[in-house]
Amino acid sequence: MKLMEQIIEATVAGDQECCVSLAKQVLAQGVDPLQAIEEGFSRGMSIVGERFARMEYYLPELLRCADAMKAAMEVLRPHLGEGQQAGGRGSIVLGTIQGDLHDLGKNIVRTMLEVSGFTVHDLGCNVPVRQFVDQAEQQRADIIAASAILTITMAYMPDLVNLVGETGARGRFKIMLGGAPVTPEFAAKAGADGYGENAAQAVDVAKSLLQAKKEGK
Amino acid sequence: MTDFWDVYQRSETGPFVKEADFDRQVGAVAALAVKKHGLRFDREQVIPADDDLADRMYQAGLDLFLELGIYCKDSSRLIKFSRSEVEWALQHAPVSVTYGQGRETRTMRFRGVEDPNPPFCVNTPVGCTVGEERFVAMVQSYAQEPLSDTFSSAFSQTVHGRPIKSGTPQEVEAAVWNVLKLREAARAAGRPLIGIHNLISNAEKTDAILAAMQPELGVQPNDGLAVAAMAEMKVDYERLKKVVYLNHSRLNRYGLYGPIMGGYSGGPEATAVVHVAHHFLGLLAFGAQWHDGFPLHLMQGCNSTRDLLWLIAVTGQALARNTRLLIGVSPFTAAGPCTEMVVHELAAVVLAATVSGLHLNLAAVARNKLPERSSGMEARIGSETGHLIARKRISRRQANEIVKKLLGEYESRIPQAPEGKRFDECYDLATVRPTREYLDLYERCKEKQSRFGLNWS
Repeated sequence: MKLMEQIIEATVAGDQECCVSLAKQVLAQGVDPLQAIEEGFSRGMSIVGERFARMEYYLPELLRCADAMKAAMEVLRPHLGEGQQAGGRGSIVLGTIQGDLHDLGKNIVRTMLEVSGFTVHDLGCNVPVRQFVDQAEQQRADIIAASAILTITMAYMPDLVNLVGETGARGRFKIMLGGAPVTPEFAAKAGADGYGENAAQAVDVAKSLLQAKKEGK
Repeated sequence: MTDFWDVYQRSETGPFVKEADFDRQVGAVAALAVKKHGLRFDREQVIPADDDLADRMYQAGLDLFLELGIYCKDSSRLIKFSRSEVEWALQHAPVSVTYGQGRETRTMRFRGVEDPNPPFCVNTPVGCTVGEERFVAMVQSYAQEPLSDTFSSAFSQTVHGRPIKSGTPQEVEAAVWNVLKLREAARAAGRPLIGIHNLISNAEKTDAILAAMQPELGVQPNDGLAVAAMAEMKVDYERLKKVVYLNHSRLNRYGLYGPIMGGYSGGPEATAVVHVAHHFLGLLAFGAQWHDGFPLHLMQGCNSTRDLLWLIAVTGQALARNTRLLIGVSPFTAAGPCTEMVVHELAAVVLAATVSGLHLNLAAVARNKLPERSSGMEARIGSETGHLIARKRISRRQANEIVKKLLGEYESRIPQAPEGKRFDECYDLATVRPTREYLDLYERCKEKQSRFGLNWS
């Protein structure tokens, strides 16, 4: 079996030991680490993500596969060339909004974003609106992503969008919203740039927002 | 035995564990319990009639609870219990709970598997978002249903025209408003003394909730509050503060548990194990008099899927066969009001629940997500279906055959379920009576369900 196929198979199996071993083989055989990430580990995680979306995999399997990929990335990262660093897709500040202590959905989104190549700064849950903005500034983030599971905390989401505007940073950050009670209509009315119905959609939305940002839209 | 202060002390002194590690441990321990007890979801046995499976599920849930304990988010510590402490709590658990006053007095009692006694129906729009001007009419539509033993709240988008935000002064005002309006709705329904099983659904902070617990606002001594566990197997001090208040009050309380199938627990078998364990959490940490589950599908946000129906049935049977706990379930449907699909989804969940010893909390529809999509008709449909199933003494085997036919009506449409009609399209707001369209649709569905073996004649 070709090396890339082995990597895909090991990633889909969530076999951390095998993933690390294959990452070492990549280096030993002089294969481009970025190629191994993009054509091997990332492709494997895409399959994992599809299986998760179809509920053929559950969250424990998703996390095990993500851990396996991350362990392999630790081996490969020091050998990436300049401008090849993982996380090159962009940077996201993520959290569950003020007053909300629920984080399952947010944690799934974080995992999916991370394995899709984003650098995620997870602020946790019950994150004050101000902290989202401060952290986005500090981390020079591209996207602010906020989640809510309660209707009474969802009400803070328009405040987040407004504060970003008031601080003059609206052009610097894209804002995406999600969570159980949040609808596309609510997100649009709040002034957000994007809405994710689920983790897979959140990744797609993040990619398109990043693209739009790069194009100055 | 343990009391609340033992629980609190353990939350301060128990083993320290990082939350992310605990989250992963839930799935790992549940997977081991599934393997050890040989638990397996069978797509054809949606409502199993397998007592041994139910008993093994119970043992798996107890094993998991003893192994895992409860996680306190504020202290990052585990609250653990011994087997004898759990057994003592089970032996001394409440065997009945009474809501309402005068002629509206209703008592929930233990139900067994295939129990001919009807389920107790605590009916509610489950916090469905509604415009402030329609709030009273929407909750009245639940309170006025004859089979509603108690009722509770929708979620008003605003109070006095202002949005509600957690942790603000407006949250306190909203909680007070909520209680006033619920009792107003009870009076409008002609049932001023009906019990309210959960007085607050528009406030999260304890100070806001406690501000509204006043008889002057319409609170009756045996109304109640829900105390919700945080999925999976977690509590925090905000919730435990409510418990202290309830210990010093005459109000009733119930535990509320919403494990997510596909989440940290894993698949249907593992999530079922964790769901059983949540009942021990509620009994020991909250002192819950009864227990209400709303297990949900991670992707579909409902519990009318085949695997969730199985989970509801098998966990209900596990607890009904091995304890005397008062247990219930909240049906969550994918489809919204005034659709054939919602009628069949409700029937499916109510079937799984009623033959498995559960009471009913009716109902969250349209995935409990879309504003204005909820009405008392769904409570009527669910309650009448539950009473019918008990009255006709439908067995688990019969229920399984019927539920598979019901699944045939809607299963493939769950991902694209119709969102249904708004409350003001389902009811005449002037009279708060359902539309002819919805009544006729319900009758047509009953005819179809009769052909499936759920005999409405």
